Amino acid sequence: MLLFAASRLLRAALTILFVMTFAFVVLRLSGDPALLIMSVDAPPEAIKAFRQAWGLDQPIWDQYLSYIAHAFTGDFGKSMRDGRPAMDLVMERVPATLAITLPALALKIGLGIPAGIYAALHRNSFADRLTMAVSVAGFTMPSFVLALLLVLVFAVNLGWLPASGADSPSHAILPIITLGAAGAAIMARFTRSAMLEVLGQPYIRAASAKGVEWRRVISHHALPNAAIPTVTIIGFMIGSLVAGAVVVESVFAWPGVGRLLVSAVANRDLAVVQAILMVIAAWMVMANFTVDIAYGWLDPRVRGAAAGH
Amino acid sequence: MFLRRRRLIATAGLAAASLGLPRIAIGQADQRPSITIAVQQIANSASLEPLREQSNVGQRVFSFLFEPLIMQNLLGKLESVPGVAESWKRIDERTVEFTLRQGVKFHNGDELTADDVVFTFSRERMFGPDYDISSNKTLFTSVLIRDSVQGKNLPPEVPAVAKRLFPALEKVEAIDKYTVRFTNRTPDVTLEGRIGRMGSDIVSRRAYEQAKSWMEWSRAPVSTGPYKVREFVPDQSLMMDAHEDYWGGQPPLKSVRLVVVPEVATRINGLLAGQFDFICDVPPDQIPGIEKNPKFEVLGSTIVNHRLTVFDKNHPRLADPRIRQAFTHAIDRKAIVEALWSDRTRVPAGLQWEFYGPMFVENWTVPPYDPAKARQLLKEANYKGEPIPYRLLSNYYTNQVATAQVLVEMWRQVGLNVPIEMKENWQQIFDGNGQRAVRDWSNSAGFNDPISSIVAQHGPQGQQQQVGEWTNEEMNKLSAAMEVETDMQKRKAMFKRMLEICEREDPAYTVLHQNATFTAKRKDVRWKASPSFAMEFRTVNFATN
Repeated sequence: MLLFAASRLLRAALTILFVMTFAFVVLRLSGDPALLIMSVDAPPEAIKAFRQAWGLDQPIWDQYLSYIAHAFTGDFGKSMRDGRPAMDLVMERVPATLAITLPALALKIGLGIPAGIYAALHRNSFADRLTMAVSVAGFTMPSFVLALLLVLVFAVNLGWLPASGADSPSHAILPIITLGAAGAAIMARFTRSAMLEVLGQPYIRAASAKGVEWRRVISHHALPNAAIPTVTIIGFMIGSLVAGAVVVESVFAWPGVGRLLVSAVANRDLAVVQAILMVIAAWMVMANFTVDIAYGWLDPRVRGAAAGH
Repeated sequence: MFLRRRRLIATAGLAAASLGLPRIAIGQADQRPSITIAVQQIANSASLEPLREQSNVGQRVFSFLFEPLIMQNLLGKLESVPGVAESWKRIDERTVEFTLRQGVKFHNGDELTADDVVFTFSRERMFGPDYDISSNKTLFTSVLIRDSVQGKNLPPEVPAVAKRLFPALEKVEAIDKYTVRFTNRTPDVTLEGRIGRMGSDIVSRRAYEQAKSWMEWSRAPVSTGPYKVREFVPDQSLMMDAHEDYWGGQPPLKSVRLVVVPEVATRINGLLAGQFDFICDVPPDQIPGIEKNPKFEVLGSTIVNHRLTVFDKNHPRLADPRIRQAFTHAIDRKAIVEALWSDRTRVPAGLQWEFYGPMFVENWTVPPYDPAKARQLLKEANYKGEPIPYRLLSNYYTNQVATAQVLVEMWRQVGLNVPIEMKENWQQIFDGNGQRAVRDWSNSAGFNDPISSIVAQHGPQGQQQQVGEWTNEEMNKLSAAMEVETDMQKRKAMFKRMLEICEREDPAYTVLHQNATFTAKRKDVRWKASPSFAMEFRTVNFATN
């Protein structure tokens, strides 16, 4: 198990380094922040001075090596707009994002998994078809459409909830529902598929034939075996907790990491974009690492394979 | 909650009577409303310092917080009116003397004096300690990498803006407590205009010096405007309270909150749901949808900004001015205004604005829409349909892509082959490698003189010449002469000649239409929009039924 964890950890570190490098190169090739921050009307001397001030006039290799060297000491540079450490700006926004993505994750799991199990256990029934129809609708509807629809109904017409902002807990309700609905739909579909596959396995029939109570067959034999694909999806969802709400945060003017990313990209605030991508990559890698470890814990064959057995 | 005169008097009386009461009692007596305004952005640079934030959105915010010596009449035609200076007089061609209002209070309670004015235009505030003021070529002698905004070191944008605002300001002296004298190195009739524009707002010396860093100062600057900063969270919100000691009378609003709502649909829904009192930056195509609801209306204002098509005369086919002239005559500008702007803006009289006053050239127009003439010019220039590329950004300007598509079709109608090349950023637009020919731009006038626009943008130091798109010897001579000319008749003749060169004879650009900004609000709120991005919320301009 230790070797298994070590190999996954090394892979995670390489992934983060790759993301840092890729983001660095792409951002520097994608446009001049001086023209955006100083405006296109700025005198050429001012543009030149800005580039000097932020080291943008140096060869890209020098900039890269300097960035990596500073990153290893925890210095991810400063925001060109704000002047503050880029990582501080990002970490300030993380709690706001988690305030909607964590409850949304709970909604996805709490609604999606029971719905998927119920649909699988009542395959081809009206309830199954209804659950899957709702699930397909939730899965296919773009989040900004659902968001605007919810705002029209609950804010504009009924006046029950605020349309946007983050001033009170009630402001979080519509973003959470928007994020949670699509995720619950995905979760329900995957859980149903996984359950149906497991329910068709010989060991389920064997357990039933032995006279094991059906409820126990489900809880002790079907659910644990159907858990692996579900855990994979939950892993993805945990991975997107930090950056999975870009559209929803924009639509609801929610001051999280997603909105910071949009604004930093629009303003070519290089250090902030890099810091956000770094946090997203680290979070995603950590989520995948946790899922890998969970696989190993759930299924001894996985850790056996990793250990070369 | 309309502040009728009677209620105003009653409120003032209550306020006076409650001077001896505990503070809570004063709060209870305040019946003024607080409003929320949803905007696309509060400040692009994440700061509230006009010397850094020289943007349209900044202009809106600064109208709440700041005041210069000379202000613009935001409810009129932007003509000059006394600001915190009650009067001014010309001493000579290089010198203007201002008499300050007495009793003007800053947001921190200090009285505004000549010392604050001198400090506002000082080297320390405008250029920083490292700036070599004698140099005309180098704006910065040293800027610390990674620490450029630490302490009181200024961000590189600040000296750049200051240099543009005052290229030849020699000194600002306090004659006495309420008298200040500005002296320019060269004769300059635009000095009053520069002193009245965004960036010349007077700040409190004590507050600036007390701030721990420049960035801290720029988040809560202290000036004399009708509202003061309570809390600014960049990209999110700006909370402002009424400046109760405001020299122009008690502001009509208890507080104003600007919130950033980037999505148009969300701003509109927030207005309809009653969450916002005003929403700004409404695109023209959304106006009919909002006004379908009889409770709301959209106020439009043409602003001091014109949309242009700009030419690069180094392109092999654009070297011949007749082809550029053909471009200008092929455009039906009125059709663009009607179709894409719901007729809520206008085709202006070239690159000029009425607030130029005596410098406004009457009877000047943009080149008339004349497809036959355009075809004739192309024939004379022996144009055979060679492609002339049009580099385009995706809606950096309102309606930009739609306008470009209309333009390309109008040009095609007269025989011009203008393929659109979509670009991602300005760097790609300006890239000199390859076929640079046609692009979009917009031009503003910072103050009421052509120096602030046609000279600043198309003269020898202007962007178009600096990037190597266009130059004209006569235009450059006129620009240099106009900078120091003080005879108004001669200056006006020079300006007219510049318009002839840049818009007709050797086109550098062609004006398409005036830009406009739209604000939506409840109909029962009585408020008038200004012909600029600035929002006027002083006593004279706000009431509710």
